[in-house]
Amino acid sequence: MANKVANEALTDDLRARLESLQHESIFRTMVESVQDYAIFVLDPTGVVATWNPGAERLKGYQAEEIIGKHFSVFYPEVDKRNAKPRYELEVAAEVGRFEDEGWRIRKDGSRFWANVVITAIRDKKGKLLGFGKITRDLTERRAAEQRYRLLIESVTDYSIFSLDARGYVTSWNSGAQRIKQYTAEEIIGKHFSTFYTEEDARAGMPEKVLQTARDTGHWEGEGWRVRKDGTRFWSSVVVTAIRDEEGAVTGFSKVTRDITDRKKLMDELQRHTEELELQVAERERTNAELEAFSYSVSHDLRAPLRAIEGFASALNEDYGETLDETAKEYLQQIVIASTRMNRLVQDLLNYGRLSRIEMSQQKIALTPLLERVLNEGAHDSGKISLSGELQRKVVAHEATLVQVLQNLVTNGLKFHKPGVEPRVEIAVRAADGNRVRISVQDNGIGIDPRHTERIFKVFERLHGIEEYPGTGIGLAIVKRGMERMGGSCGVSSVPGEGSTFWIELPGGGKA
Amino acid sequence: MMSPLLPVLLLVEDDPAEARLIMRAMEKVQMPARVAHVKNGDDAVAYLAGEAASGNRGAHPLPRLVLMDLKLPRRSGLEVLQWMREQKSGIERIPVVMLSSSPHAVDIRQAYDFGVNSYLVKPDTSEKMLNMLASLKEYWFSYNQAPLLEEESV
Repeated sequence: MANKVANEALTDDLRARLESLQHESIFRTMVESVQDYAIFVLDPTGVVATWNPGAERLKGYQAEEIIGKHFSVFYPEVDKRNAKPRYELEVAAEVGRFEDEGWRIRKDGSRFWANVVITAIRDKKGKLLGFGKITRDLTERRAAEQRYRLLIESVTDYSIFSLDARGYVTSWNSGAQRIKQYTAEEIIGKHFSTFYTEEDARAGMPEKVLQTARDTGHWEGEGWRVRKDGTRFWSSVVVTAIRDEEGAVTGFSKVTRDITDRKKLMDELQRHTEELELQVAERERTNAELEAFSYSVSHDLRAPLRAIEGFASALNEDYGETLDETAKEYLQQIVIASTRMNRLVQDLLNYGRLSRIEMSQQKIALTPLLERVLNEGAHDSGKISLSGELQRKVVAHEATLVQVLQNLVTNGLKFHKPGVEPRVEIAVRAADGNRVRISVQDNGIGIDPRHTERIFKVFERLHGIEEYPGTGIGLAIVKRGMERMGGSCGVSSVPGEGSTFWIELPGGGKA
Repeated sequence: MMSPLLPVLLLVEDDPAEARLIMRAMEKVQMPARVAHVKNGDDAVAYLAGEAASGNRGAHPLPRLVLMDLKLPRRSGLEVLQWMREQKSGIERIPVVMLSSSPHAVDIRQAYDFGVNSYLVKPDTSEKMLNMLASLKEYWFSYNQAPLLEEESV
């Protein structure tokens, strides 16, 4: 589109100058092709003399509509009332140029944020010929800046603000107000060391923070800070240095988070943990003392037991002929009782030992282990069968595992139905989580589901001594042994049909 | 002609019931020894030392075997053992068999550290005690060659 020139608005000189310029094709091409910038000329009074496509696009006016009109038509009312347009021209005339950012009005009344440069055009003698005006639409950029500022403003969880190069507060956000309690008016212009505790301020901490940020780019840390009302809060702070193009520090940005709650929680957690550890240590000490006590008592009981059994037997042997049947029976009972007590003491000692000894665990192949259980036990191995994945290995303490399995086998054979031959089957299979389950199934009398937890406790027996012998510790040994080895045990049973006791251990691959 | 006296077995045991049962068992198995019984560590040392000093070959010669409990009043079995092994009179060679109620590895190891010849754990029935002493008799008084004590060579 060609630049039209209004005759009335221009002096001859200007017109001539413009015409000659316009005939410069480069000039024309440039101005004509620029779409993003409004580039046009005003006469010395501010009347629009030329127009370009950028101006049309930006302000909405066609050339015919606007040439000859005063440029103050682009300004909002408030600026016109304050005589801003004329002021800008005066400055441009005096200084040579005027640059500003501000709202401008389009033809349709809508506003846009503009960056404006007004340049005075003078002839060689210095006479003012008019003004060149270049206007740029910064609405987008301003909108982005606004959005950014709003974002910072609206963040209430984080205190985000800026400092100048010396540490004076230059901006504030709602988070800062919420956390530190100062309003923007109260704090902008004050030094940021206000937020530090007395001790920290005296120790020169604020300056150290800024220096570190200058040297390395930022400073991060946690520490006590002080609110407006003097109360303290535990903060997490990041201070970042802001630099200009030459790399000089022009200020700092500071992001502070109030983590007092988190710190309180952490401190409490720490305290609870320590308390817990103390309690555990106390409990362990008590347990250790208890076990040592019961161990030494059990141990000391064996001597008198030896004496009881020894003398009763001696009496029987040496004076047997002089004793009648009743006397012999009494002696028998003495021996039986002391033998039983001896077994109790032995089981107690075993149980106690299980809790105390260091258990080193290894991978154990089940086939040889089960052989050992069958052969070393005081039971009829003919009644026991093996099945399942016997080639598996488990991670365990061998002696303990042997004892556990022997106890289970003994039980399985012991609690048989009267008149029915006891049979026990030991089965091996894999279980979840790389574990191996060994189950000992019998065809005995079974267990009422009500009792399945009780029976693993020390001294718990479901039957009288006359019915089935035992000390009531065998299963307690199984449970304790499994616990110590990091395994587990349990039972499922149908009263009258039989029980399946099982143990589980970590798997150790296959043999 | 004097019949050769049986060798002495020194029994060091503080518990009277245990001692009684052990000695009865020894009679039952017909241990070929005269049993000298002392009830604490000091008496054990006195017996051994006294005899060496006086050189009395008579009623109380040095024992062929010492059967000793670990836990004793005044001086423990280990201390008696230590004293014995420090002697230079031949006492240091006398075989010592510990007869203790403790089955603990620590105690067993310590006894061997101090120079015990054998360690036995007291069995809990009289039948087992008899079997044990019968074996003891066979081993120490039949098969085993006792060390020559200096006095004997004189």
